[in-house]
Parts: sequence; C-alpha cells; structure tokens
Amino acid sequence: MKPIVLFFRLFVWFSWRYFMKHRVRALIVIAGIALGASVFTSVRLSIHASLESFSRSIDLITGRSDAVLSLPGGRVPEDILPAILRQPQVRHASALMTTYVKTTGDDADSFLLIGFDPFSDRPFRRWQVQPTDLAQDSSWLGLITDPFTLLLSEALARRNGWQVGDKVTLVHDRENTVFRVLGVLKPEGLGLAEGGQVALTDMATFQEFSGLPGVVDRIDLMLTRAASDIDLEALRRQFADLLPPGVQITSPSGAKESGRTMIRAYQLNLSVLSFASLFVGMFLVYSLVALNAASRRHELAVMRATGASGNLIFVLFLAEGALLGAGGWLAAIPLSALVVKYMLHGVSQTISTLFVRVHVDTIILEPWELLLSFAVTVLISLLAALQPAREAMLVEAGEALTTSRLQRSRKDTIGKLAVVSLLLIAVAVPLSRLPGYAGIPLAGYVAILSLFAGFALLAPWSLQRFGAALSPKLHRLAGVPAYLAGRYVRDSGTRTAISVGALITAVSLFTALVIMIHSFRETVQLWVYQTVSGDLFATGKMSAVNQFRDSIPDRVREGLQQLTAPVEPVHSRRFVLKSGDFSYELDLLDLEAFLRYGQFIWVAGEPATVQPRLIDGEGVLISEVFANRTGLAVGDRYLAQVQQSVVDLPVLGIVRDYRTKGGVVFYDRSAFTRSYVDPSWSTVRLFFRERPENLETALAALRREIIDRCGSHLDLIAGEELRGAILRVFDETFAVTFVLLLIALSIAALGITTTLAVQVLERLTQFNTLVAVGAAVRQIRATVFWEALLLIVAGEIAGLLCGFMLSYLLIFVVNVQSFGWTFIYSVNWKALAASLPLIVGTALLAALPAIRLIFKQPPAMLLRDR
Amino acid sequence: MSMNSPVTEQSLLIFAHQLTRIYPMGRTDVIGINRLDLQITTGEMVVLKGDSGSGKSTLLSLLAGLDRPTGGQLTVAGVDLAAATESVLTRYRRSVIGMVFQNFNLLPTLSVMENACLPALLAGLAHHQAMVRAEDLLRWLGLDHRKDHLPAQLSGGEMQRTAIARALINEPQIILADEPTGNLDSRSGETVIELLAELNRSRQRTVIIATHSNLADATATRLIRLKDGEITGLA
Repeated sequence: MKPIVLFFRLFVWFSWRYFMKHRVRALIVIAGIALGASVFTSVRLSIHASLESFSRSIDLITGRSDAVLSLPGGRVPEDILPAILRQPQVRHASALMTTYVKTTGDDADSFLLIGFDPFSDRPFRRWQVQPTDLAQDSSWLGLITDPFTLLLSEALARRNGWQVGDKVTLVHDRENTVFRVLGVLKPEGLGLAEGGQVALTDMATFQEFSGLPGVVDRIDLMLTRAASDIDLEALRRQFADLLPPGVQITSPSGAKESGRTMIRAYQLNLSVLSFASLFVGMFLVYSLVALNAASRRHELAVMRATGASGNLIFVLFLAEGALLGAGGWLAAIPLSALVVKYMLHGVSQTISTLFVRVHVDTIILEPWELLLSFAVTVLISLLAALQPAREAMLVEAGEALTTSRLQRSRKDTIGKLAVVSLLLIAVAVPLSRLPGYAGIPLAGYVAILSLFAGFALLAPWSLQRFGAALSPKLHRLAGVPAYLAGRYVRDSGTRTAISVGALITAVSLFTALVIMIHSFRETVQLWVYQTVSGDLFATGKMSAVNQFRDSIPDRVREGLQQLTAPVEPVHSRRFVLKSGDFSYELDLLDLEAFLRYGQFIWVAGEPATVQPRLIDGEGVLISEVFANRTGLAVGDRYLAQVQQSVVDLPVLGIVRDYRTKGGVVFYDRSAFTRSYVDPSWSTVRLFFRERPENLETALAALRREIIDRCGSHLDLIAGEELRGAILRVFDETFAVTFVLLLIALSIAALGITTTLAVQVLERLTQFNTLVAVGAAVRQIRATVFWEALLLIVAGEIAGLLCGFMLSYLLIFVVNVQSFGWTFIYSVNWKALAASLPLIVGTALLAALPAIRLIFKQPPAMLLRDR
Repeated sequence: MSMNSPVTEQSLLIFAHQLTRIYPMGRTDVIGINRLDLQITTGEMVVLKGDSGSGKSTLLSLLAGLDRPTGGQLTVAGVDLAAATESVLTRYRRSVIGMVFQNFNLLPTLSVMENACLPALLAGLAHHQAMVRAEDLLRWLGLDHRKDHLPAQLSGGEMQRTAIARALINEPQIILADEPTGNLDSRSGETVIELLAELNRSRQRTVIIATHSNLADATATRLIRLKDGEITGLA
C-alpha cells in the first residue's frame, strides 16, 4: 500500500503539477485523443446498434422455431402443412409470408407486411393488441373473419397517423389494395420487429393481395423436446419422403448469422478506419510525453540523485501517457454523444444499402463497448509513452552537465530507427499475402499498421537527409531564414520527427482512401455504364425492395410484349440463393440481346470465345465476389438448387459486379428455360434500337405507351436515372469514411500545432540570441514558418509515398478479403493535386499559434537567464 | 579614457541621462536601473561590477537594444534607443553591437563557421563575403581548425571564442559581454579577457564587460560599480 501511496504522491508532485503548469499543451493533446476516441466509440456504438437491431428483428420474426422449411428461389406449397403437423417430431408448425409494402404516394416509406395464421402462430411469436375504445384484446380474431384487415405496430401507426378503423391503401406489384386497420399492437414481440415498422395480416388475405395462392415463403417448425436434440441432417433424412423436391430444412439462426457476419465484417473495417484517428492521436501523446522527458532532464537527474529508481521514473512517465489517454477518453464521452447522432444515420443507411435492412433509432450503451474504447484509448496512450518513458529512466544523476552524450545517443537512435522502420515497411509485403480469416483481413490490417509505423519511424532519418540536402539550396533561394530552418530540420531529432508521423499517417490515409474511392468509383461507373446498361428499366412495384422475388404478372407482361415503340427488350429474372452461409443472386437474362447493347467487365476468361458459349447456355459467368467467396475459378462447376431443379454448369468466365456482397451468377434465360423451368421474368430493360434524337422525348413516349398498356403496376426508371442513383448510393456509402478521414486530418493538424509550439518554446533562447545578433522579427518568424513548411512538406511527401503503398493494400488485400472485389487501379491526380496543397495550407495555419509564441519572452531574458 | 577626460561630441558613443528601467511585478515594481547618468566614449574598455541584481545585466540589455528604458534618455552611436522603432533597433543590433554571453548561446545545429557567419548573413552580406570575414576572425581567434565542428564538440573556451567571432563579424563599434568568463575555467577566462582587451587596443572597439570576477580589472580603462540600479563607484 505504502509504495502505491508514494507513487501517487510523486505523480502529483512531479507530473500532475507539471501538466497544470503547461495545461494548454496537455489540453490540446487531450482534445486530439478525445476526437479519436469519440470517433472510435461512436462508430462502434452505431454499428453495434445496427447489429442489435438486425438480430432483434430477426429473432422477433423467427420467434421460437427450431427449424424452417423453405424452397431456394421459390415458395413452399401450403398443402404440405397438415402432413408436417402429423409428424411425431413436430409439436407446432406455422406458415409465414413477408413482403415490403408501402402506401400510395411517392415519398411513403416501405414497411414489412407479415402474413400468418394467428392461431397456429401463437406458440411461435409474441404479439398482443392494445385495448382501446374501438379494439379489444380479442380484436385480432377479425384478421380471420374480415378479409383485408391489418394490425399495425404502434410506431407505424404513430408515424402515419393511422387509427383503428382507418382505411389504408397498400401498394404491391399486382394491385393497390385497401386494408382496414383492426388494431394497434403493443410495443412488444412482433410489434417491435423491423424497428417497429411492421403490420400483420391473415395468410389468406396476404396470398390474395400478393397473387400467390397456395404457397408460403416458409413454414416454421417447433419440435418436440426429444426431436429438438436431433441435428438438422437427421431431420432432413426423416422428412425426405414428405417434402416436395427442392424444399430444404434449415436452421432459423442461419439468416441471422449470415447477416451478423456481414455486419461484423463492416464493423471491423470501420473500426479499423476509426482506429486510425486514435493512432494519429497517439503521436500527440508521444510528442507531449517526450517533450516532458526531454525538457525535464535536469529534474530527472535530481530525482535520480535523491534516490528515485529508473523504474519509478519509467512508471511515472507511463502514467503521464495513461492520464492523457484517460482524460481524452473522458472528454470523448460528451463528444461521442454529438458524433454518434451523425454516425448512427450514416452507418445504418450504409448497412441497409450494402448488407441487410436495418431500422435503428436508439443507441444501446453497451458496457463492453465503453470498456473496449477505454481500454484501446489508454493502451495506445501507454504505447505512445513507452519510448519517452524508457529514455527518461535512462537519465543519470548529473547527466544534464554533459551534452555530447545526448547528441551521440540521438544519432544512434536515428540509425536504429531507420533500420527498424525499413524492416516494418518490408514486412508489410509478406503480411499482405497471407489469407484472411473468416472474411476478416487480419494480416492485411497488421500490414497496414506495420506500414504506418514504418513510415513514422523513418521520419527522423528522412528529415535528416531532407534538411541536409535542402538547406544549401534554400539559402540560395530564400535566404538565411530558410537556411536556418533547413538546418534545424536536419538536426531536429527523433522527437520532432516522430511527431511528424501524425501528419504522415493522416496524409497516407487520405491519399490511400482518395485513390481507393476513386478507383472504386471509376470501376463502378464503368460497370454501371456497361453492365447496368439500358434506356428504361421496368420492374414490378416494390420489386427491388423485395429482392425481385416475384415475376411480373402475366397481364402486365403481355402488355409489355405488345409495345410498338422501336425498342429491344432484355428480360431477366433474379433468384436470391444461398451458398454456404451467404446469399448471392442468380441472374437469368437474355444474354444475346444484352451483349448487343451492353457488356461485362471481364476479370478472367476470353470474351470473344466465351460470349458465344454463354449465349448458347453452355455455362455460367460468375462475378469476382462470388468467385472469391466460393473459390470457384474458370473451368470449375457451379452447382445450385433453384426451386425444384439442380443446376450444374461450368464456369466460363469471371466478371466484375458490385451489386451485392454475396456476388452474382449470370446465365442465359432461354437456356435455363430449355434445361430447367421457365423462370418467367421480373425485370425488363429496354434499349432503343437506334439512338433517338431526343432521348427524353422518346423516353416520355415510351413511358406513356407502357402505362397505357400495363397500367400503373410497374416501377419505370430511366437508365440514366438508375445509374445516377447507383452512383449516388455509392457516394453516400463513403460519406462516413470521409468524415472519419477529416477527423484524422484534424488530429494531425493538432499534432502540428503541438509539435511546432513545443519546438518554439524549447528554443526561445535561440530565437532571442538571433535577435541579439541582429535578426529582424520577420526573419525569425520566417525561420519558424520555413521550419513548419519543411516539416509539413516532408510529412506530406512521406505520407504520399506511404499512401500509394497503402492504396495497393486496401484495393488488392483488404477489399478482396473483406468484400471479395477489386477495382481497376486509378489515381485521381486532380483531387490529389488540389487537396494536398490544401492540407499544407491547413497545416501551416495550424502552425500559426507556434509562430505567435516566438516572442513570448523578451530578448533581454538572455541576460537574466542565469 | 577616464571620466575626467574631456568628452568631445565626436567621441561620445554612449549617453545615458536619468536612465530608468522598472519591471512591474504584480502589484509591486522592481527597479532594474534607477536614474542612471553615464557617458562612454569610443575606445573605452568598461567593466561593470556589482552583485547579482545590481543592474549590470539590465544595463547591458538596454545598451544592446534588447530592452527599452521606462524613463530617461539613452543614446548610443547617435541612435535614441528609447524612441527607436523595432526596425531601427534591428539595424542597430546588426551594425553597432556585438554580444558575448555567459552561456555562449551558439546555435547548436550550426557549425563554428556558420555560427560566426550568421549575423553577417542576417544583415544581408553575401555568403562568400561573410565566409571570408569569418575565416579571418576564426584564424585570429585560433579556431580555424575547428570551423566545421558543432558547438557540442567544442570546449568552453572555444565556444566563447566562437561567440566572440560571431560578435565581431559585422565589425560593430561596441562589444557587450555579459559574464564572458562565467562558464570558463580560469585559463580560458584569461584568454577571453585578453582577446577582448586586444580588440579594444588594436581594433579600437569599445568593450563593455559585466562581470563578478576581477579578471578584466587590469585591462579596463574604467570600472563602474553598480548597486540597486545605481552607480556607486567609479575607478
């Protein structure tokens, strides 16, 4: 106990009072750490909230079922239900159908409509009607007795201002149907699914509304206690004779796990990106603790002389780092409350766009997440303080009297650091070649960290060379101040140089992300214009949000086939299928017509030889994502269960496609009809046979004709509009990334302010000496300005170099292992050329406070110094 | 030249009348220099003596143009230091004054040659001309073999001689030395005082030394004793 008390007493005397004396410096560093910690915490909390919302929603819909019957790419015949219920292993069974619907009006939000049998569903899911003047507990019985009635969740009723008895028109691809509100659900169980955006109706009503009589999406099973111990494989064997071809028994947790895995991968990616802000903040802690250690060598020597052990000094300085980390984390709490509001929206939107639909409106303050952010913040602060603490513990009593030893050891350190840094940079290459684990590019992340650390540690050596090479030239070009600055940069030493690491890290991150996002966007743009080609796209109402599950109704299809406009149709049908634990799309389209107007972006396979074979239906084309996720290559066989058919075809080529995380398999629709079943079609894209002189007028005429022939049962979107929307979604997806990047750059600017301010404060005597020997005020200011410029330019050059290497890692390692796709490498020179000077300018602005400090003490202090 | 010698307008280099410097310290004022009258002519070697806090360094700061008087009049080489603008003071420090400090105050990242050249370069002299001047001075000071060394590689005496070279590079009329032997061993201290005396004798520089030690007494043309910011004795 006594040593601990002594330690804290010494900490207060030695460290705390020093912090108080120089509180502005400490506060800047704490602000930097707080920014980093708040970003890290907000991102984690936002994704955690999305993850929880998704899991909760799936759990609420899945209910207590032990197994699920479903048909890949199709629906399960309802009539098997009685036979299923007769099985001794089955205690309860309940059929379920779901679809996203919306009310009439362009700006109406979609919500989930669930069709079920209110009686047989009771054991599976919890839901209850709120008793009101117009509705009782038993009002739900009306779902069965009164067709086209609904129970609404409380949130949905509140959002739309709907009350019991109101009439609501719901839009589906067949009909717009009027439903009557029978009651409002209590905010519990199913009433909370999909973030409360849910409505319940009777199965018969649902089937009539959706035009799908006799089939259901799935049948949930609750097994007897004995059967629930049986594994699914055994159950499949027992049910083999009972189930129609293609119907599968799966675990209800499968969809949840697959969704959670995808969100977790995104969580890790964004966590790593947000960690970069904390990493940049680490340099600030290093800078301040190192300054404390360097400027207090005399005090340290006195402490050692009076009996303090080296270990005590070491721990004191580590505690300074921990204090800065803990302070930053505490300051991050109110900051996180602000940042998380923005993050929550951006993150949940991105997850909904890329992976699974989530509705998040509340943040759950998970203690583990808070503890994690505290642990990470303090840990990186401790790591940052490690090296200065080690230097401090090596101070011997009386060392302050000798300067030569200090000089020599600094040179040794620079040499050693250069070797270590080159090793770290070199090791990034083999690390990047290691495979990912469970879709997580762990080795890739370590390679990135190694690259950051390598470049940051190379800074002292680089600055030494940079300063030495430039100072004579600067003398000729810009006079004595620039010359002096060059010489200072040459001899700036480890501490200043490593502080430049903050800028190197931020600039490299900026460069890499600018390159990655540009490459991604350019490739997506190319894909959008080649593969998502077409002048007008026609799909069933709500078809996109329901993953194109249903084909266009016959009546509408006939109308489209009678079009007189000079257009060529390319029909397609998509099936969402599962391969292992992930979902992908099988896209059946009229390849001959498509390839006349559009094309794929090929990754493997020779288009000239493969395309005719594709049109003949000899094999499939798979997307790069699907190839990377399944390990399939050209020549391998693609195997899938589609409704009642088993599809077994060779892979003829690999192409780029960015529509889903699971990837796409393309096959000719006519060939599929010949070999398996007629899949009909859910989307048609129309190409004008000849480019009309006025595309807009021609499109308007085409739209009019379609509406005349098919009514308003189709969503019509012009090709340009669709491609613009895809690119807009792309840009929105990266909005969060850019915010994280800006914060990292802001922390780096704080780093510049601290580093330069510290440099100036340390050299007040030198500046006053310059005044005494005849330097004008502007010359001294110019010297500091040049120093700042040289440090910033050096940091930016190193950051640029590191950024280019990092961009390769991001595109060809992290993206492949995380998402399965790569892009065509493309550098946005214009953006880099425009923004890098902007960063220099901003960093120079950050240097202004330091320049103002130069004359903090009057030059006469030189003579009063002693 | 003693205080009793006749002072002509041409030979009067430093003129102080009722010179006062007060430092406000919170609610109280600390007197650095109190109503001091002083006249120094060209070619004198003046030694300022006194205990710590007597006002020696304050007087040197005022003479160097590093600080401004709060009262009275101070004219050096025709420049009214009480009224001078910052740019006038900068020109004054470049051309009239050369400073030597107790702590040498050499810039650690510059070599001996570069430290010596620095004031000339700051004053706008071409690099090669500054080098020629510095070469001469370093040779005269016995440092030509150390010109490429950094300050950390020099002995105390060598550092102080480098500082003297730096002080002389712009050929100033006045050398101000603040405890120039304070951080030196006695042998090096004697060497430095001899150099300053030599400057005074052979190069007709006016030298003003503030010191506790008696090393410079023998070479001084005048000794001024200060106490509480006032002159208490002359010799």
